[in-house]
Amino acid sequence: MALHAQAPPSTGRPLRAEQQRANRRAARRRKARALLFLAPLLGLNLLVVVGPSVATVWYSFTDWSGLGPATFVGLDNYTRAFGDPLVRAALMHNLIWFVLFLSVPMGLGLLGAFLLSQITRFQMLFRALFFIPYVVASVVNASVWKSLLSPTNGIGHALGELGVPWIGDVAFLGDTSTSLISVNFVVDWHFWGFVAVIFLAAMQGVDPELYDAAKVDGANRWQQFTAVTLPGIRPTVVFLVLMTVIWSLKAFDYIYVMTQGGPAGSSEVVSTYMYKVAFSQYEAGYAASLGLSMAFVTALVLAVYQLVRKRGWEA
Amino acid sequence: MITTPRPSRRRFLQGAGMTAAGLFAPGLLSACGSGNGSTGGDSGTGTVELWIDIQGEPNQTYFSDKVIGAFEQYQSDIDVKVTYYTGADLRKLIQTALQAKSGPDLVRGPSATQTLAWSKADVLADLSSYADEWAWADTLVSWAMEAFTTDGKLFALPMRVDTLLMYTNQTLFAEKGWGAPTTLAELEGLAEEAHGQGITPFGASNTDWKAASEWHMSAMWNHYSGPEAVYQALTGEITWTEPVFVEAVELLRSWFDKGWFGGGAETYFSVPAQEVGANFGNGTVAMVPQGVWWMSSVGNFFGTAANNENEWDWSPWPALRDEVAYPLFDLGIGGSLGINAHSDSQDAAAEYLNWYYGDREAALQRMADVPATYNIPIQFDAAEVPAGIDERSRRVLDGLNTAVDAGNYGYVTWTWWPPKANAFVYEGFEKVLTGDLSPADYCEQMDQLFQEERTAGDVPQIISRA
Repeated sequence: MALHAQAPPSTGRPLRAEQQRANRRAARRRKARALLFLAPLLGLNLLVVVGPSVATVWYSFTDWSGLGPATFVGLDNYTRAFGDPLVRAALMHNLIWFVLFLSVPMGLGLLGAFLLSQITRFQMLFRALFFIPYVVASVVNASVWKSLLSPTNGIGHALGELGVPWIGDVAFLGDTSTSLISVNFVVDWHFWGFVAVIFLAAMQGVDPELYDAAKVDGANRWQQFTAVTLPGIRPTVVFLVLMTVIWSLKAFDYIYVMTQGGPAGSSEVVSTYMYKVAFSQYEAGYAASLGLSMAFVTALVLAVYQLVRKRGWEA
Repeated sequence: MITTPRPSRRRFLQGAGMTAAGLFAPGLLSACGSGNGSTGGDSGTGTVELWIDIQGEPNQTYFSDKVIGAFEQYQSDIDVKVTYYTGADLRKLIQTALQAKSGPDLVRGPSATQTLAWSKADVLADLSSYADEWAWADTLVSWAMEAFTTDGKLFALPMRVDTLLMYTNQTLFAEKGWGAPTTLAELEGLAEEAHGQGITPFGASNTDWKAASEWHMSAMWNHYSGPEAVYQALTGEITWTEPVFVEAVELLRSWFDKGWFGGGAETYFSVPAQEVGANFGNGTVAMVPQGVWWMSSVGNFFGTAANNENEWDWSPWPALRDEVAYPLFDLGIGGSLGINAHSDSQDAAAEYLNWYYGDREAALQRMADVPATYNIPIQFDAAEVPAGIDERSRRVLDGLNTAVDAGNYGYVTWTWWPPKANAFVYEGFEKVLTGDLSPADYCEQMDQLFQEERTAGDVPQIISRA
């Protein structure tokens, strides 16, 4: 109070105002410096992401062949996409792919992570073993599995020779009823270990005292898993579910290498169909409309995710 | 100069520098990857860039030494910088680069109809003036040149003559006392006998190359429906819905249904081509219907390299109807060579083309050295082919020359069909095999696409009937 009383009231306000102006100048400088650092990346992003994205939007309204000039055709590509039975079939395959891709690796990943979390010896070894298929290039994995699934020289054939019934002459990739599931099996095989390692890392972040408390309450392993582990890793689960949805819509490499969408379109997904339309049939405009439609679906998924986050489900 | 697609540190830094500069400079995409050596201008000198899909080190070494090396020795003012692509789909890479007004100076293009699509987009230079200057019409066969000419513009040169053959395991044929079938009855008789003995009559698979089905449909339409009918359909006189085309599809499907072709549809869709080759070499497959290009690799499945003592040979496709001539060779072009419309080294690139097609001695030596790979469509007599050529390769060259002279030639889908109809030939055929599409509906849907594209001018000039 004494200090306030001693300070001349006439000079206090200008000093504070000057200080505030100085603070604002410093803040502006900091922002400018930050923007300066961000500018190259922002410029690069504009060039290689935003530019092509805008171009794709434009081409989706044209009859562009992929080369040369393009003519505006309005919504023709989109109306065609809605009526295209091949697009509908591909979307259905995407849906089947999503269900399998969401359930199998997630289930196996959770189980693997939980089992790994219960051991200390050889945990690193198993983690590495689970992870290895994920780091091998998809083209390599797909090519190897294509040979392994050969009906005349693959695993099934070998098992059949050993007397295992049914499996000996199954053409996993050549039968329209098994081709999509077979490719998905290979993708799940390569992916579940990655999911397991991610879940394991999340599980290690769960407070051990919660498990102790559960044990005191008489919870068995399963109850500990459902009542402590799962709620504890919920943000990771939500994130992986989101990524799985996006990856399902982007599924391409394994299908392209192993079946190229065949036989007879039985493993065709939207991305492989889009690729054929763009490069084999020279209808890049139509392919762009399909790509944008898929991007729209992805955006919807992201919007739902954001909604879920806002409602606090993730936390 | 030979490179692979692995960038050096210096090149990486150059690229990074270009990227940074490009942030503030318009047209960066056009500049990217245009090569740093296209400096020839219109002098016919400088560096010419070529991207090519030659697989395997021995083949690349041969191309580097015997083609590029020989050219650089002949024309020391021009440096050809080759980038080999293995495993990548080169056509799509080049197409994307051309659209960005970038890419190689010398363009290794796809089939005639697809190269025509590139030409329509004005990404290929007009070679007409070079053709006039160096009289390429006197060097190359006319039908192959015409396939790459539209509205008086020569937009590329044909890279390799393709045809379809029936490869045979000659040792197996000798053991069984079989001869090369020349008629449908002989072919089906042989197939039935082989199948009865546990031998797959026709080794085939589309697992590694989905478009393999178009080889078989090309053969069926030419050797069953006949080249006259195919010509009439290609020129719009008749449609693809004629019974003679539908019957050809039905016949091929019946071979699949019997397990003769590829062991049946499901194995055709799922057995890797390498395995088919191995089975052909060890005699569990009797014949392989394949393109002439396979001649350069079929030997890998025979002899000491494959742990067997078998030998292979080939014969023309049999005549599948009495009205069709035998032998009949299906004509096609395996790719093209053109010049980038946005190249700074067009004259130097043209110099290379002129040497590649014009030096007959070197061209014939290449044909003799590497089976079927360098069969460029130049005019020559059989007697001019150097000694030392594999007898089977010589027979292909002789057969093709004779067939063209006699008018006994057909038309392969990947050269004469427009892109959408061409893609449908092999995509739709899978549905025929799985029972999702009847042969009649297959022909009708193909015809719809063909007529649309024909109206749009997407069919190249068809070699007329002699």
